[in-house]
Amino acid sequence: MANRRQDIVLGATLVALALIWTWLVVDTIPPGFGDGEIGARAFPMAFGIILLALAALLLVRVSLRSESKAKSDDPTDIELIEPDEIRWIPAILLLAQIALYGFLLEKIGFVLATPIIVLLVMLVNLRVRSLSKLLGMSLGLTIGCWLIFEKVLGIYLANGTWMNVG
Amino acid sequence: MDLFLQALSLAITPTAIAAIGLGALVGLIFGSIPGLTFTVALALALPITFSMDPVPAIGLLLGTYIGGMTGGSVSAILLGIPGTPSAAATVLDGHPMTRQGEASIALGTAVIVSVFGGVFSLIVMIVSVDLVSRLAIGFGPAEIFALVLFGMSTICGLCGDSLLKGLIAGILGLMIMTVGIDAIEGVPRMTFGSINMLQGVDLLVAMIGLFAVPFVIEAFSERPEDKPRDARVARVRAELPKIGLLIRNFWLMIRCSVLGTGIGAIPGTGGAIASFLAYDHAKRFSKKPESFGKGNIEGVIAPETANNAVTGGTLIPLLSLGIPGDPATAIVLAGLMIHGITPGPALFMNHATEVYGIYVAVVLAYVWVLGLQLVGIRLFVHVLKIPRDMLAVAVLVLCAIGAYSIRNSAFDIYAMGLIGVLAYVLIANRVPITPIILGMVLGPTLENEFRTAMMLSSGSADIFLTSPTVLVFFALALLVIGMQLKSELKRKKKPQKKIETSDA
Repeated sequence: MANRRQDIVLGATLVALALIWTWLVVDTIPPGFGDGEIGARAFPMAFGIILLALAALLLVRVSLRSESKAKSDDPTDIELIEPDEIRWIPAILLLAQIALYGFLLEKIGFVLATPIIVLLVMLVNLRVRSLSKLLGMSLGLTIGCWLIFEKVLGIYLANGTWMNVG
Repeated sequence: MDLFLQALSLAITPTAIAAIGLGALVGLIFGSIPGLTFTVALALALPITFSMDPVPAIGLLLGTYIGGMTGGSVSAILLGIPGTPSAAATVLDGHPMTRQGEASIALGTAVIVSVFGGVFSLIVMIVSVDLVSRLAIGFGPAEIFALVLFGMSTICGLCGDSLLKGLIAGILGLMIMTVGIDAIEGVPRMTFGSINMLQGVDLLVAMIGLFAVPFVIEAFSERPEDKPRDARVARVRAELPKIGLLIRNFWLMIRCSVLGTGIGAIPGTGGAIASFLAYDHAKRFSKKPESFGKGNIEGVIAPETANNAVTGGTLIPLLSLGIPGDPATAIVLAGLMIHGITPGPALFMNHATEVYGIYVAVVLAYVWVLGLQLVGIRLFVHVLKIPRDMLAVAVLVLCAIGAYSIRNSAFDIYAMGLIGVLAYVLIANRVPITPIILGMVLGPTLENEFRTAMMLSSGSADIFLTSPTVLVFFALALLVIGMQLKSELKRKKKPQKKIETSDA
């Protein structure tokens, strides 16, 4: 039943997304001039409408899924297999850390930002407490990547606008 | 014959062989790290070639191109994260093979069939460059639109157990690529006044987000009780595929090579379309289509053969007409011109020796790639022995490097994170993410070619209806969709045992 509930939430979210998208497209993008010039609006609008139709179809299918099927004891029925659990906290936490990484790369550069983020991730997400592992991974990854990418391969890593090392 | 011997004497020198080998190695490294790609490697390699003789210089560039195209399969198979868009289809069966403890067989097979596809396309190029280039140049916007639409229809084969959710994923991919400045009119679309959003969502950034970030989230959120007792991945042997496996799939390799060469010859298409079409073709004609997505070696053979067959195909319009098919071949074109080799119809008359030298360089590049990869497999598979959570930390840093290096923009890192979290939620809801990539790869071409065709025909649909090529591709697309709907309806009527597949 969690499967059905999750599909309803998914379908409803996609319907809302499609409606908002289509409205924004019509409101903000000018139409074409005609005579073959279909304009910048046509495809985004078409995609929004198609998404609306597919999401609505998903909702209808889920709603019509019969109670008898829901009570079926066939363990192999795909529609009854429990969806994966969404672990929101690790996902949001990682998103915040990636955003912080991007911010720090711009401000203090790769060589300073990387060990900070690696330490943060290992301490908070992985709960590593071994000092050797913490230092080994943070310094090893930073120095290793800096040597390989910047010095050997010639790919310039991020330089900070506030300060920069390397 | 004299010209060929002269070309051999230019191409088989220590400098030329070393240059090709260096290019292959650099290309492999760049291709295997998501976000870097061989286009970046080529851009870095080009200035190095200025002081070299023409054949070693072009050999270095071609080695980089070929190494990069092959390198994408390494991370696709080992980590489930494609190194290049062309390797996205390889993830579908390559990564499940790794989870079943068959990483080295998958890697070994991928490199061998890649070499086969590349050399096959080179032979096709040598014998039929004139004919194929004339056919390819006949592809106008309407024909390319129809081909891409046919490519989009293969989404149906990538939907796993839910056609509807797969189609939704494809549409989401198409929608994402409309964000930014419109390529034809230059108007901003869905940018909300943000300068960063004007540049749109880069395909590589999205690819990293879609594949790498869910992998990292799952690795970080694994509880001790979730870790499998039977850690088959840790039992890694460096084992190469048996010759019998390759012989059994020889006909598939030929078909996918033809497909890849043909698609590569059409400017603006590329390895990603070829690999997805080949994967769909292999699945459709397989004796065990239900095993695709669960570690079927044919699901590795088909896309890898096709995407490397593209390399020879792209050289056809490049050398005969001076038309590069993608940014990578544009850099190769720049390299040719810098060294006084002007592609076009007169190339084969004025620089025949250099052209033969290029052919030899391509063969040498594939020999290098084969050698480097077969030796490298023994090292690559040890990556799997690294604890998953530590590997995820390294992947996070490498992906940030890759994403940032595309446009030197922190916005790309934010976009990578956001897309990645959304992908994680979609995967948990059993929405396949491979169709999103297909939508993103094909979306811009689909829209631009359609709009160009409509402008050329002043709004008349006749441009599509009067071209036999267009009608053939439309019919093929309808056939694919019809067959998929039929099998979906059959499946719903008859309950079958299904095993869940994961896209991350």
